[in-house]
Amino acid sequence: MIALLVLAAALPPFTRQTLPNGAVVYLVPRKDVPLVTLRAVVKGGAESDPAELAGLSSLTAELLRRGTATRTADQFSEQLDFLGATYQSTTNPQATTLSVESLAKDAGRALDLLADAIVRPSFPESEVKKALAERSNAAKAVKDQPSQAVGLYFHSFLFGPGHPYGHAPRGDEVSLARLERRHLADYHSRVYVGANLVLIAAGDFDPANLAPQLLKAFSALPPGKPLAWTPDKPPAPPAKPRLLLIDKPDATQTYFWIGQTGLHRTHPDRVPVWLVNTLFGDRFTSMLNDELRVNTGLTYGARSVVEQNRLTGVLAISTYTRTDTTTKAIDLALDLLQRLRDKGLTAEQLASAKAYVKGIFPTERLETADQVATVLGDLELFGLNRGEVDDLFARIDAVTLEQANQAARKYFGSSALTFVLVGNASKIREAAKKYAPDFQETPISKPGF
Amino acid sequence: MHAPLALLLAATLDVQTHTLANGMKILVHEDHDIPNVAMYLFYRIGSRNERPGTTGLSHFFEHMMFNGAKKYGPKQFDVQMEKNGGRNNAYTTRDITAYTDWFPRTMLELMFDLEADRIRDLGFDPKMIESERGVVYSERRSSVENSNAGLLYEQLIAATYTAHPYGWPVVGWSSDIESWTLDDLQTHFRMGYAPNNCVLVVAGDVTAAEILALAKKYFEPLPRQPPPSPVRTREPEQTGERRVVIRKPAQLPLLMVSYHVPASSHADYETLRVLGNLLSEGRSSRLYRRLVDRDQLAIQAGSSLDHSLDPGEIIVNIQPRSGVDLARLEKALFEEIDGLASSPVSPDELQKAKNQLLTALYRDWKTIAGKADLLGRYEVFFGDYRKLFAAEKDLEQVTAGGIQRVARQYLHDRNRTIATLIPEAAR
Repeated sequence: MIALLVLAAALPPFTRQTLPNGAVVYLVPRKDVPLVTLRAVVKGGAESDPAELAGLSSLTAELLRRGTATRTADQFSEQLDFLGATYQSTTNPQATTLSVESLAKDAGRALDLLADAIVRPSFPESEVKKALAERSNAAKAVKDQPSQAVGLYFHSFLFGPGHPYGHAPRGDEVSLARLERRHLADYHSRVYVGANLVLIAAGDFDPANLAPQLLKAFSALPPGKPLAWTPDKPPAPPAKPRLLLIDKPDATQTYFWIGQTGLHRTHPDRVPVWLVNTLFGDRFTSMLNDELRVNTGLTYGARSVVEQNRLTGVLAISTYTRTDTTTKAIDLALDLLQRLRDKGLTAEQLASAKAYVKGIFPTERLETADQVATVLGDLELFGLNRGEVDDLFARIDAVTLEQANQAARKYFGSSALTFVLVGNASKIREAAKKYAPDFQETPISKPGF
Repeated sequence: MHAPLALLLAATLDVQTHTLANGMKILVHEDHDIPNVAMYLFYRIGSRNERPGTTGLSHFFEHMMFNGAKKYGPKQFDVQMEKNGGRNNAYTTRDITAYTDWFPRTMLELMFDLEADRIRDLGFDPKMIESERGVVYSERRSSVENSNAGLLYEQLIAATYTAHPYGWPVVGWSSDIESWTLDDLQTHFRMGYAPNNCVLVVAGDVTAAEILALAKKYFEPLPRQPPPSPVRTREPEQTGERRVVIRKPAQLPLLMVSYHVPASSHADYETLRVLGNLLSEGRSSRLYRRLVDRDQLAIQAGSSLDHSLDPGEIIVNIQPRSGVDLARLEKALFEEIDGLASSPVSPDELQKAKNQLLTALYRDWKTIAGKADLLGRYEVFFGDYRKLFAAEKDLEQVTAGGIQRVARQYLHDRNRTIATLIPEAAR
């Protein structure tokens, strides 16, 4: 019966073309709700920040709408909001994405706004100052949210200074104090060029009307030079476990990440690792959540993360527990990791993981125009083709139990681990010692991550 | 604006409804874009139906619904769903408990079997109760004790209500989380989990006929039961400003303000939604321009107006900058709020807020999950899902004069509660 139930996933029809300045344009007309998503992906992202200027790419993106050659920041916001449109700017490790979603009838006006921000930003000094102060305050505010702060600390501790993933993508109080208008203007003129740009229009639009406007608006960008990507040099696995304890004296829970480096987005092992991680910590019935939440009630949620970025990223366990159960929860998590390595997976588990990832895939990647736009942007960014989606289910089905178990041993707990704990140090210092006798400790109030 | 209107009217035709013999209301919306289904069950029971001593029980019960029934024992609800390519969640509010299932259409019948099993024959394994108590306590520690915003919000709400059950937290007070008994859970189950107290919404790759047939097979045999007793307590009128202060170690201060407003079914609700957008939606909103941009006192300014069966509240929440004078921030905030009462909003600004709300509706309509949630919420909070399809007309009827009147009537100092979190050095 199961064989009859295999579902297929496929990208909807789209066109891809290249502008004379090198920008790649995808068009995905699709009638559903009367909305259009316009998305610009600019290669670079947090990894293109110089080490001492953490947050540069993200802050440049923030400033784009805050004053252009033809609009003040206020005018931009008024015109955008009048359309009822949403505007988002996000920076991930390898790209900045700017997207606008508007009613279909307003797509032309939304495009004009997006293009103005990307092509003609003016970086007014007063806006740069305001944005820097806002970002600096936000970097402090995140420390009042330990669930978020712990991930930032983990990245800088695991990758270390100098590695492209070793700094906070939105900057910290120290790097933001160094940033100036000239850095942003320079970054924009270097990186926001045809050679680094991917444009995607998806939703309820007529290509005959929208495409010429889109091509014209973005042809104004110079071709520029393609971003020089840095080679993938993950930190060497540590000889023994390392631990960073962040002291948050008012915490009643300990938030922790335990992990190591994993793999990169286009690594040939990505599908088996995805399946293993699904079972280990990426769904409700996963080993981690089942043991730490369902069986023992130690936490509201336990999961594992395998980052999918251009360079080798993090593979880590992430959870939190009451201060006095810190050791118990960490021990159980480590125990599960060891069990995964020693005992491996069963055929039944693997079949369940395959059904799960295939079952939820359409709702995460193919349901809406903006999801499809996200997928296409990623394919272009990572140099993948549509087979990444269209053949995905076949590649999932092809993973054997042996391959999955090999992936489990190769990636999960395969080297000495890195720990970051955020909690009340006076109560968990002894626990920290147990995992790494020469651990480091930092007060959360210390600027930076 | 003609195209959007036409779309919504067309969508109206797409919703098939039926009421089972036992009173369960069913809404079906066919959408064949992806081979998936969203199935939402809305029970009209929430923390407003609780009592002191068992606060948070509705939410705890929501957790227990995943801990085993007669046919599918502990863990099996999640195990069965995930191995068939589905997943789920649930949420509890002051008014409702909603169970949200997303799955490929291939497991449609299994989904009905799973849901019917737990509504009919939920198990109450004492061991599961104890471990789930720990889970809920951890949820409380994360969302309240270790979140300054959560902590301040809880105190704000507790001070906003002196009598009505909306004043206690949905997650429950710590002492109550520690003391729930098996008996409390069983009583709660009998009170709220009756088919006549439920709205079932299915959106996705299904046909109305197959849903109806499955509902008849799995849900219709469930017996009707008396629904929860009406909530009798009405919140007395507030007659003067209230204030709550929390002092604790923190990087940044926080400011939140609440104003009592009527229930969602009240004629002023739509005007209040528009007013909320004028205040805080987008960077052209009044609070962003004044507090974040011009005066540079804050990094974020938002507002929220939840659906509510009883009179509720509109909340303004501000993330101040480090070291700002909170008195100065409050003064600027209240000048902006008073401005909505003292002079009429311009036609362009009013139209902007309406455009934002209409576009937001389409964004919710993009996914089968969004559709299921909207249909169910409109049915529960407005008494008829078809109210959703009048959304554009309702918005058009909001006037500048109406905004001014509503601002005067509700957003005045005697009706507000102010909560501040003031950072102090760690001891």
